[in-house]
Amino acid sequence: MNRLSIFILPAVLIVLLAVPLFVEDSYIRHLFIVAFMYAVLASNWDLSLGYTGLFNFGHMTFFGVGVYTAAIAAKTLGVDPWLAIPLSGVTAALSALLIAAPVARLKGIYVVLVTFAFSQLVLQLILSQSQITGGGEGMVRLPYLRLGDYSFIRDYKLGYYYVALGMLTLSTLFLTALVSSPFGKSLKAVRDNEDYARARGISITRQRIAVLVLSAIFTGVAGGFYAIYLRVASPEALGFGTMSLTLSMVLIGGVGTIWGPVIAALILIFATEAFAGIRGMEEARFIIIAVAMILVLRLAPGGVLALLNRLTNSTLGR
Amino acid sequence: MTEAMIATILSGLVLGSLYAMMASGLSVVWTTLGVFNFAHGALMTLGAYVAWTISEYLGLGLAAGMVAGTLAAALAGIVIERLLVRPFYTNRNMLLITVMTTLAAMIIIEKGTQVIWGPRLKQLPRIADGELFIFGSAISVHEALIVLIAPVTLIALWAFTARTLTGRSLRAAGQNQTAAALIGIHVPHAYGLAYALSAGLAGFTGVLLGSIRFLTPTLGSEPLVKAMTVVILGGLGSLGATAGAAFVIGFLEAFLVLTVGLYWTPSLLFLTMIVVLIFRPNGLFGGRS
Repeated sequence: MNRLSIFILPAVLIVLLAVPLFVEDSYIRHLFIVAFMYAVLASNWDLSLGYTGLFNFGHMTFFGVGVYTAAIAAKTLGVDPWLAIPLSGVTAALSALLIAAPVARLKGIYVVLVTFAFSQLVLQLILSQSQITGGGEGMVRLPYLRLGDYSFIRDYKLGYYYVALGMLTLSTLFLTALVSSPFGKSLKAVRDNEDYARARGISITRQRIAVLVLSAIFTGVAGGFYAIYLRVASPEALGFGTMSLTLSMVLIGGVGTIWGPVIAALILIFATEAFAGIRGMEEARFIIIAVAMILVLRLAPGGVLALLNRLTNSTLGR
Repeated sequence: MTEAMIATILSGLVLGSLYAMMASGLSVVWTTLGVFNFAHGALMTLGAYVAWTISEYLGLGLAAGMVAGTLAAALAGIVIERLLVRPFYTNRNMLLITVMTTLAAMIIIEKGTQVIWGPRLKQLPRIADGELFIFGSAISVHEALIVLIAPVTLIALWAFTARTLTGRSLRAAGQNQTAAALIGIHVPHAYGLAYALSAGLAGFTGVLLGSIRFLTPTLGSEPLVKAMTVVILGGLGSLGATAGAAFVIGFLEAFLVLTVGLYWTPSLLFLTMIVVLIFRPNGLFGGRS
């Protein structure tokens, strides 16, 4: 992992920075933008699910809150989209604080049930408050990003590409700094041996609240960005489709890592888009993703990153 | 006002009966295997669609459809247990892993029904037509039958798990795997049976629901969330607690729809659940473990 982060990852960033020089096709760039967005979602989810071992199945709530915050702020209230996107991070963190209060006291399966039920509740609220959220139709024609007179959609989405990459870079730096901090180490301690960690004076309640709130920040920002980029806010943001795709990224990338889900997001977005091009596969591709999730859990529980590490270690003579 | 109250009570009875049937299936799998089956709602959908194919598409009648739907769901349950749950019995993170594998199963079934049966709305016929009038309030005969079927099914389920040798072996396997194996219970068989029983119950409930609502691939997802609310409130431990919580939720929901309307009901139900959990983290009827 360390070797990977020191040598390979800056190289990856440089390659990604250079991609628009070689790829002029606006559809391919769109796929990269969506992949960056999912990478933020998946890696932040892994902070609570994988790193902390908190059975959070309501992560999409934070994303959905972000999507609708940006949409309502930018369209209904006329806030500048540049402000609406970070605002999404704030409201998502607040919604995390709301659910964290009961979740912090619960154990095991009840955490799954309450977080999942919470996401369904937010979905119900969005659907029923149609005069604010547009209900099942969602909100369309949201304001887009511009700098002076320059619209970010121009030059084949060049501006959006770099905004998305910037967001992913910030989120990843934030996550890696977090997990290598003393706080991050205490998270691992609780996951691996709760009783011992508690005996060493770690407050599990406080930790869980902190993790949920911290993992919601960039998830909300990603939601806000997604709404402004696509110029649409729809209830599908909280649906099973988005959730299963993101969960499969966490699993396939490797639970308990930050980089695994990022890599998996890039692979899976391009793979599923390739499937979507085949007639009759629009729905069936989700079946393939689900099967892939099961296969990873059965055959390679460490995910892609564990396989990669094994490969790099063996080629470097370890 | 009294008429509205009677209508509310009747509606609460119907909802409670349906929730009790859904949630008791979840409870059977939980108490025996320690697995929360996210595919439970999707199994309801599957049962309803298979019943529709037999009864409407092939024209063999509702009774045949009901049996086929129940059996198809039970069979799917056995497959899920075999392929998605059994390989992880010895895993330390079994609880979390099976949440994810059954979630995957849910996606496969839900998208599968969409691919096989298409997105067009379908509906199952009712068991019986007509309406009953109880103190001046109308209730369809079909819904009245659900209110009767639910307690009978629940009592049968309770009698099976508490009074028969096979049923008791499920509980034994749930309480202590090793000890159960020592006294000659084939634990994997017990697990498979529990899953089949729960899934069959889900399929049967799906058939009953398919005559009240339209069949869509997501037919089971909203009931699953309700069943979750029920098991959170009642605790997953015992059938009695689950059934009790189901009727509490059913009546509460009917009452909320009457007083605050359809839009705010889900939020208030959720709020109730959170308040209960803050004071009783093991559920309303759950013990202090």
